[in-house]
Amino acid sequence: MLKKLFTFIFILLLPSFSLAETPEEKGKNIAKKSYENTRGFVDSESDQIMILIDPQGNKVEREISGKTLENLDPDDGDRSITYFNKPKDVEGTVMLSHTHVNEDDDQWLYLPALGRVKRISSSNKSGSFMGSEIAFEDFSGLDYRKYNWKFIGEENYQGELQSKIESYPKDKNSGYSKRVGLTDSLFRASKIDYYDRKGQLLKTIFFEDYKLYNDKIWNADTFRVVNHQNKNTTILKWINRKLNVGLNKKDFEKSSLQKLSN
Amino acid sequence: MIRLIQLYLIYTFIIATLLSSSRALSFEYNLYGSIQPEYSLFTNGDGRHNQSREKPSILGTANFTTFIQDDNAKISISALSRYDREDHNRTYFDFQKLKYEYYFDDATIKLGNEIVFWGVNESFHLVDIINQSNLSENLSGTKKLGQPMIAVSLYRDFGDVDFYILPYFREQIFPGANGRPRLKLEIDENSISYESSKAEKHTDFAIRYSTMIDDFDIGFYHFYGNSRNPKLSINQSSLKLDQYYPLLSQTGIDIQATKDAWLYKLEVIFAELMSEQYFSAAGGFEYTYYGFNNSSQDLGLIIEYLFDDRNDQPFNNEGSIGIRWTKNDINSTTLLAGSIVDLDGNSNQFFIEYEQRLKNDFKIFIESIISGSIDSSDYNYAFKDDSNFKIKIAKYF
Repeated sequence: MLKKLFTFIFILLLPSFSLAETPEEKGKNIAKKSYENTRGFVDSESDQIMILIDPQGNKVEREISGKTLENLDPDDGDRSITYFNKPKDVEGTVMLSHTHVNEDDDQWLYLPALGRVKRISSSNKSGSFMGSEIAFEDFSGLDYRKYNWKFIGEENYQGELQSKIESYPKDKNSGYSKRVGLTDSLFRASKIDYYDRKGQLLKTIFFEDYKLYNDKIWNADTFRVVNHQNKNTTILKWINRKLNVGLNKKDFEKSSLQKLSN
Repeated sequence: MIRLIQLYLIYTFIIATLLSSSRALSFEYNLYGSIQPEYSLFTNGDGRHNQSREKPSILGTANFTTFIQDDNAKISISALSRYDREDHNRTYFDFQKLKYEYYFDDATIKLGNEIVFWGVNESFHLVDIINQSNLSENLSGTKKLGQPMIAVSLYRDFGDVDFYILPYFREQIFPGANGRPRLKLEIDENSISYESSKAEKHTDFAIRYSTMIDDFDIGFYHFYGNSRNPKLSINQSSLKLDQYYPLLSQTGIDIQATKDAWLYKLEVIFAELMSEQYFSAAGGFEYTYYGFNNSSQDLGLIIEYLFDDRNDQPFNNEGSIGIRWTKNDINSTTLLAGSIVDLDGNSNQFFIEYEQRLKNDFKIFIESIISGSIDSSDYNYAFKDDSNFKIKIAKYF
């Protein structure tokens, strides 16, 4: 009888044991859903305008355009091409990246005046992208595979209760000790606070202008970055973003860089 | 020269034909360029050949590209033009690029002038061979002249194979009699001879294989044609230097390994010139300390070494060391400073290159070359008194 009772209690409790996620699992699951929300685009192309604003309000504009080829391999990353249009002294320069999940990305630059293709180091995770407040590593900042996660609670933000998640970079070259982000009920990142290596609050990226692409993919068309230490702001806007456009896969090779340069 | 003009007329005709065949309505193109006035000041006063201590000059660049034939082809034009007050040889016009390319699925055909760079080193560009150097721009030969070519590239799983047919040879441009720095003796522009009976019309060719294996980028090529560097010899009657272009057969290898913040580089050539066989190698590393001193700035160290088994070469046992500071600021401020040292003697030379963007698409460049101690037997002895500072302001449009 007693044995049966224990068995009964055990069976009763079983689902709750297995369903009870640790905060780490819960954080990772939310991050994974959030990431998967942006997947399935096959390929994409877009123009981007970046506005750099200093504490005095002086503005400088950058213009780039890009193409991305999705890689659905769970252990590898996407490929991307970046064209630099402004500032005008770098016009014609093209960058190719083969991103990876567990190792450094492969990156090449084509320098048109020299006719030179240069393999560059990609260890520069924390470096500034074109003098902005965006670091190279921020472009893959929503890839859940690159961080360890922890759900730490809920917070009211923009009129709803959002999940608050901490994340810690796996990459030893990361410029961050941790990040604290909010994710909404549609699993879209709303904002992330970044803490520098010394644990001080460095910057916040606000993900804005969410738009539903191809009826299934949420993309934030504006990144607003506020640096709390140097008081600079960067606004990065995607315009003319198109998904699943049928790009030529062979363009994402080193040998195509010269062809791509305009 | 007439032959050159004919070639350009043919190119222009081909391009005009292609342009007119593309649909006028969808004609999109990209046009950009720059104007770059510069001023050099030589710190030792007037030169030993009575050259002026000042060298003002202006460079203009223009670039045009358009994709045609349903984006399967591209036309690119890049032109350079410089006026130099002192040096007539440094007053020139050149089509760096004037080319038509057609892209097949796994091949490209290219016709026209192009700049092709091979190699991985920062200081010692050993394997780079396709384009002729314009030494009136700088004596290190990094500024090139557009090379007319027919090139075919094949892209295969095992790597890329490029074939180059180079139908017309371009002679090296040396600093003129009033150029500074220049060699001790004047170059006789009218005394040029070739080993090949076809002279500048000798068809040079090259084949190159390149591939990438993990962190390694590897290239391997063979070139046969007019040597890009002429042999200079003193003409006892004119007391000027005669130029002789022998035929060169050269095999080259270039390898870069990219490991985290370290780049390891190696360039090797095996060559045969005037029935002499020789070997030369140059390589080194580049390490970048990203975000040094808890800032967003980078500090790089570049060390390279060059070896040549010919003892009569001016550069056969040289080292170079450089430090590159990248501020990663809004103005893309960078500073490169270093030295090139002849390890056989006590000769050395220092260089500094600073650049930063200014407002409204302006950019400023400050460069300096300073002679250190130079042995009287050293190649650089001719330039001993040519230490200088150069300031350049570029406006991009």
